[in-house]
Amino acid sequence: MSASTIIFYILATLVVVFGALTVFSRKIFRAAISLLLSLTFIAGIYFLWNVDFIGALQIIIYVGGIVVLIIFSIFLTHHSGQSLPKAKTGKKLLSGIMAVAGLGFTTWVVSQYVFKPAPGVVPVEPSVHNIGIQMLSYSDYGYVFPFEVINILLLAALVGAIVIAIKKSQDTEE
Amino acid sequence: MKALYNYLKEVAFAFVSLANGLLLTLKYFVTPWKSIITENYPDNRDHPSVADEFAGEVILIHDENNEHKCTACTLCQMACPNNSIQIISKQVETEDGKKKKVLDQWVYHLEMCTFCKQCIDACPQDAIKMINSYELSCFDRSTLTKVLNRPGSKLKEKAKVTPKVQE
Amino acid sequence: MISMIQFSDVTTWIHQLLSSCMAPWLVFLIELVVAAVAAVVALLVCVIIMVYMERKVAGHMQLRHGPNRVGWHGLCQLFADIIKLLLKESFTPTRADKLLFTVAPVLSLCVSLLALAPISWGPGLVLWNTNIGVLFVTAISSMGVIGILMAGWSSNNKYALLGAMRSGAQIVSYELSAGLSIVTIVALAGTLNTGGIIESQANGWWVLKGHLPAIFAFIIYIIASTAECNRAPFDLAEAESELTAGYHTEYSGMQFGIFYLNEYINMGVVAMIASTLFLGGWQPFYLPFDFPLAHAFNDIMALKFMETWPAWISWVSLAWPLVWFFGKLFLIIFFMMWFRWTFPRLRIDQLLKLEWKYLLPLSIVNLVIVALFIVLGLHF
Repeated sequence: MSASTIIFYILATLVVVFGALTVFSRKIFRAAISLLLSLTFIAGIYFLWNVDFIGALQIIIYVGGIVVLIIFSIFLTHHSGQSLPKAKTGKKLLSGIMAVAGLGFTTWVVSQYVFKPAPGVVPVEPSVHNIGIQMLSYSDYGYVFPFEVINILLLAALVGAIVIAIKKSQDTEE
Repeated sequence: MKALYNYLKEVAFAFVSLANGLLLTLKYFVTPWKSIITENYPDNRDHPSVADEFAGEVILIHDENNEHKCTACTLCQMACPNNSIQIISKQVETEDGKKKKVLDQWVYHLEMCTFCKQCIDACPQDAIKMINSYELSCFDRSTLTKVLNRPGSKLKEKAKVTPKVQE
Repeated sequence: MISMIQFSDVTTWIHQLLSSCMAPWLVFLIELVVAAVAAVVALLVCVIIMVYMERKVAGHMQLRHGPNRVGWHGLCQLFADIIKLLLKESFTPTRADKLLFTVAPVLSLCVSLLALAPISWGPGLVLWNTNIGVLFVTAISSMGVIGILMAGWSSNNKYALLGAMRSGAQIVSYELSAGLSIVTIVALAGTLNTGGIIESQANGWWVLKGHLPAIFAFIIYIIASTAECNRAPFDLAEAESELTAGYHTEYSGMQFGIFYLNEYINMGVVAMIASTLFLGGWQPFYLPFDFPLAHAFNDIMALKFMETWPAWISWVSLAWPLVWFFGKLFLIIFFMMWFRWTFPRLRIDQLLKLEWKYLLPLSIVNLVIVALFIVLGLHF
């Protein structure tokens, strides 16, 4: 077993353990922190695979952005320090079955798929320069269309947020 | 357009005013020998620079003939907010047979004094003042109770002829 | 500097020495540990100097002496303080979340030390020569808020919680303009690699040759990074007069010491990034003019005269880039201290207004102007 395999298994175990803690922790803030650590170790796996850019984005978007927002909303709720009520047995059973089914389905799909090298596609070196060019390229395998669509989506979200914020401030002034 | 102009003006003005403050502190920083006002206290005991106005402790002013101006009117004692002044007076008989109240002991409890200077303001004779001594701590509390009038001192006689005429 | 000794020579020599007597995996492990320890120790030495410098700068700017009792001009004051912190009890409040309370300082220290990885200290002297260098530092600094939020929440103290929330709001918003001003220089240099950015400044630092936008970006970056470090005038997270000590109110002993250390490490990392991006990192000063005097000056700065010297003297030239790197580091740190001891603290609404109404629009406009410069080929 090579060193990178060992590191991969360590990271994968940490991801799974903290993922499980996210679900099973009865304190909501601890669950958020576990989620954060789980996402951070996924970034670690990306770094191990030499896709540094994706790893850094994983940290910026998920850890620095989404989880911080989650933690903020936890802070704004009352009683965030108390343990959550225990789930009913029926609920536990249902969610357990659904999780196992989901895991089974994913495993089945992955095991059925034959991974083979795609012929004729030149692998792109994942440097930032290449990613930038691919992102705005409108030739074959270029990503300009999804890029722009996502831009419009984000712009809509931004405008929506501003509209909501403006309405509120007018209400308070009146 | 006007709004944009005002916005940029605000930004520029902010920078100018921030730069003013920065330059002042930079001046202090690069010329420490001029600007530092801290006293290196135990090192400069030989040549301390304490302001004359500094309120250290109360003294009773004595002149070269060992005379003070206190008439034992106890106004300072009444002005004192925390009873750190005690005026002990005695009755003496003057030559012409009149009884007169004179100062016996001007007791000053330094341990209770808050250096508020109200006694100084209250004194009608300007008999007491505060000096700028500052090494007031000691190991024995009882030494802080002081008698301010010197032994054998007496009340300064008022000049019979008004000095204004002489001038 | 071809004939002179390079850092890569030193590292190659160490590698060969170790390889001659050990298994490759052991060599790799030892090199990892040695490199990490070297970087951390270098930073800790910087932190010690920074703490002393902060006290002296603060003193002199407030017309005081600063520390002058322990050791010569108070040089040993910090060591006395460290001993005091180590001897103090690390106290945990009863109703605190004990696990998170203990983990929070360690986590924030780890996160700030992670940001050291892609920093280029000198030519060929970089721990992790990755092509996302600056982006990685940005990512890691966005994680820095987590430790603060953990500390604030787990203390079970309203001051701590308020401080943590303010700090979160502050870091999340100021990251935007810091990121945009970094992007300005990345666009000019055409790479995210720290070494690459520094090498692109061999013929002049970006702040000098990047026209007005680079200067604007520099100012915005300094403001935003001061805010990201939670330093005055943006120290709302620990505003003494309102929040006691903000998120580390409940911490004592060395746990508080770690937060204190952390503040200075963050400052150091921010200053390293600023010197890398704007002031040319380890590049010596360069006059971008074409007349003999400027050429002579640049030759002296590049230590051209040492090429003819015997090899053993040219070892000195190894220190030359480090001198420039640390000189710029401390210059920027001095700026940050200068701001701290000059300006009064902002209110939280003023803080957010400054970011969202002034810095962010200005940095977006700035970025657009830089993009125009690059497209029109006006840059150097």
